[in-house]
Amino acid sequence: MKCLICGAPYKSPPTWSKLFLYELDSSTCIRCFGKFEKSQSVIDFADFRGTPFDGAVDSVFSLYSYNEAMKEYLHQYKFLQDVALATVFAGKLQQAFQSKEGIVVPIPMHPDKLVLRTFAQVDELLNAAQTSYQHVLSKITTEAQGKKTKKERLKTTNLFEEIQTIQPTNYILFDDIYTTGATIHHAAKILKDAGAKRVEAITLIKG
Amino acid sequence: MNEQLQQFLSGRIWLREHTPFPREVIDAHIDSGHIHLKPGITTSTEPNLFWQSKKNVCNRCHNTNQSYFHSFNCARCNQICTYCRHCIRMGRVSSCSELLLWDKQHARGANAHVFAWNGKLTPLQQKASEELLSSVERNESHLIHAVCGAGKTELLFPAIFASLQAGKRVCVAAPRTDVILELFPRFQKVFPNTTIHALYGGAPDQHGFAELVLATTHQLYRFERAFDVVFVDEADAFPYYADETLQQAVTKAANPDAAIHYVTATPTKSLKTTNQSVLTRRYHGHNLPVPRFDSLWGYTRKLKKGKIPPKLEAWINKKVEMKTPFLIFLPTIEMLENFPSDLPRVHAEHPYRKELVMQLREKKIPGLLTTTILERGITIENVHVAVVGAEQPIFTSSALIQISGRVGRSVQYPEGDIVFFHHGISREMDKAQDAIEGWNRA
Ligand SMILES: [Zn+2]
Ligand SMILES: [Zn+2]
Ligand SMILES: [Zn+2]
Repeated sequence: MKCLICGAPYKSPPTWSKLFLYELDSSTCIRCFGKFEKSQSVIDFADFRGTPFDGAVDSVFSLYSYNEAMKEYLHQYKFLQDVALATVFAGKLQQAFQSKEGIVVPIPMHPDKLVLRTFAQVDELLNAAQTSYQHVLSKITTEAQGKKTKKERLKTTNLFEEIQTIQPTNYILFDDIYTTGATIHHAAKILKDAGAKRVEAITLIKG
Repeated sequence: MNEQLQQFLSGRIWLREHTPFPREVIDAHIDSGHIHLKPGITTSTEPNLFWQSKKNVCNRCHNTNQSYFHSFNCARCNQICTYCRHCIRMGRVSSCSELLLWDKQHARGANAHVFAWNGKLTPLQQKASEELLSSVERNESHLIHAVCGAGKTELLFPAIFASLQAGKRVCVAAPRTDVILELFPRFQKVFPNTTIHALYGGAPDQHGFAELVLATTHQLYRFERAFDVVFVDEADAFPYYADETLQQAVTKAANPDAAIHYVTATPTKSLKTTNQSVLTRRYHGHNLPVPRFDSLWGYTRKLKKGKIPPKLEAWINKKVEMKTPFLIFLPTIEMLENFPSDLPRVHAEHPYRKELVMQLREKKIPGLLTTTILERGITIENVHVAVVGAEQPIFTSSALIQISGRVGRSVQYPEGDIVFFHHGISREMDKAQDAIEGWNRA
């Protein structure tokens, strides 16, 4: 196999977890994968206390920190549109979802943006991780989150709307990156208001 | 017809999304037949005995290695779409992308070229330069086989000037960005009236029609039938030699009847040209420093334990004490990253490579640890060099010759220490030493 990131040939060593848990094969060499750092930061929701979003999210778990290697990865995956890189974290993401119970809901992209990017980067990560999901939400604004201040992001009314009936059960939101938490909180509030029991979130990266 | 568009697209094969022109302008030129459209990827189905296999070709970089293609559900064309990962850094080319080619008369330069060089060639350089010029005039391919530090660039000048004056479009290609960055200001001085573009990954936008293009071989993926004359500098350098598509890129960028000329210290056997010139002397006339071999038994183990082998440590300390700038070449990135010292280090992915080389030149740092990335193209006055693990396969004889070629390049310091630290002498080490001694005798 050739490493998807550096192109060098590599062999993925057999491990016990692969034999018994059917862990997905990594698509990168050990050197490249070793450059990603596990996220150590504890995410609190202090920013949302006393706002309408207070209590919308029950927990957030982010797998990796936003270091140089991750920046480079995200650049190649999203901006150079290298869809193949969706498989890099397949094994780790699959594990993360196996430890939780609930309906997985990827944060959606606006349809116009989707045509420009040619693929939904969040959905593709889940496809690679062989994790099933439901499109429960749709995006109703195209304004880029990154260009707004934190206050503005919180104020914006309804980034999403539900396109399916919400069940009184557990939901797990999934996004590529958790930065201020506004996106996840907006999505969670919609689910909670419509009757979801618990809303947890997993993101690949903590920005 | 839009003249700026003509100047921009002449000789190029360009991803539609990346053109700096409005959509309507491009559309109008497609309708009038000035622009020819090509799909990004051509997929053909080859019937085999038992199954059908798909074969993709990237129409920009001409890659046919199927492991570099990836297919996905595309939201733009709503089909299974295939893209080329081989040239993705220049903007992704997929089945539903459109490549633009200028299909009418190419733009022409209108500059009155001036040759503003008053340096002097040595008799050996002069001879090679004249031989090259006459090959260029007869449009026959030519190889300049010159030792490191022979002064190869200046002997190209007369042939380039003659080509420019004949109204030809000229390309000087080199495999590495560092080399292009070094050549650009020199060429601007020598040809002050010529429009010159320097193209490399991350280069700024440059306007107008360039009669002379300096480009990394990678950038040539974005040209097709553009050049009447091509000079390939350091023709054997990784990754050019290693990557067949890069060699095809050079051929594709040239006009079908254009001669391609090569300049290198270490020609590979596969390099075939009609004519050739050999330069066995440096421009300053001194002998090439001959590498010496010194054993460094078990260096891998010692370095892994976090200890610098005593002989190597003594070598470093002496250079630091004498204030002699030095380079230490290491065989792997791991060894480079884990080397137990505070010395700065550079490798291919290092963002501050240029700056660190500058600091070494200005003696702001005592020395640098490096992978083979710095084996060629850089000149540092009075630099001394050690290769650690010279017996390892990455150090081919041509890599070792290039590395040795860093030493003694200036007239003020024509000598200097070049040592191959090893755990057993390899054939490649012997070959490199023999070649250098052979040139000194010639
Ligand atoms: Zn790798
Ligand atoms: Zn390509
Ligand atoms: Zn497509």
